[in-house]
Amino acid sequence: MDPVALAIHATPAFVASAVEFVEATTIVLAVGVTRGWRAPLIGTLAATATLAVIIATLGVAIVTIVPELLLKGVVGSLLLLFGLRWLRKAVLRFAGIVAIHDEELIYLREVAELRAQGLQRRKFDWIGFLVAYKAVLLEGTEVAFIVIAFGAAGGTALTAATAGAIAAGLFVIVLGAALRQPLTMVPENWLKFGVGAMLCSFGVFWFAEALGMTWPGDALSIPLIVATFLAASWLAVRMLKAILPQGARVDARNV
Amino acid sequence: MFNGIWSILVGLLIEDGQLAIGALLALAITWALATAGGASAQQVVGWVLLVMVLVLVVANLYRAGLTARARVSSAQR
Repeated sequence: MDPVALAIHATPAFVASAVEFVEATTIVLAVGVTRGWRAPLIGTLAATATLAVIIATLGVAIVTIVPELLLKGVVGSLLLLFGLRWLRKAVLRFAGIVAIHDEELIYLREVAELRAQGLQRRKFDWIGFLVAYKAVLLEGTEVAFIVIAFGAAGGTALTAATAGAIAAGLFVIVLGAALRQPLTMVPENWLKFGVGAMLCSFGVFWFAEALGMTWPGDALSIPLIVATFLAASWLAVRMLKAILPQGARVDARNV
Repeated sequence: MFNGIWSILVGLLIEDGQLAIGALLALAITWALATAGGASAQQVVGWVLLVMVLVLVVANLYRAGLTARARVSSAQR
């Protein structure tokens, strides 16, 4: 595969999937540290197997059966909707309007909840199994969506997106296993900021392609669109900081 | 899992509802432009969509900033 195409298609899937894998790993770590590793690891494997079945049936069917232009139009719309949500939330977090996502706080809360539920020795830990299964399946479903979205062009794009997601999964799992602590050093808001811009850019790019547009330089125009989204978002952060009184903080939904 | 899907849907359609509705409107305008405008319009629809979405994001965040400022002001009173 052309290295430029590989970078364009694999990097967004890698970064976007890494965010989801960090969230799943945090919860599995919390279960493992609190209640032992057997049940959460079995839960993780079971969720991975469930995901493989979902992707093998739905994902491949969608990419191979649905006409390419229709798929690009639908996926482009969904990417734009999801991307705008991520981007908006990341901008509000940087501006101090919504609290920064704190992986350590989530980890500690999960540990406290699991300890409160207690653990009976000798019996299989179904709570640990289910918590890990649910977390991995939920975040994994989002990874599957990301792979299908970034690989919507089919063929090499799908291969690159899958490779990016697998690489992200291995990277985060190895890091989590080595540290056995929540991955607080991963700058999640920065990642969401970048991924939000990338999802929006791919959404605009594919939706326009589905309508018959040929972008100048084809996929090479994507970095330009990403840069435009990032610049507008950065300006929005500056604007929000100027609007809010100095030192003000509003932890509120529905702003 | 269903709780997660539900929270994503709620977040997408209710929490950030105005942004989602605005984005859908921008997509509909882009589609109408490409369909009615012919081949020449098809070659600019992407840029039109990009500008509309950027304006939409900045306007939505500006409004969110004003709402947040009003909340801070009322909390300080």
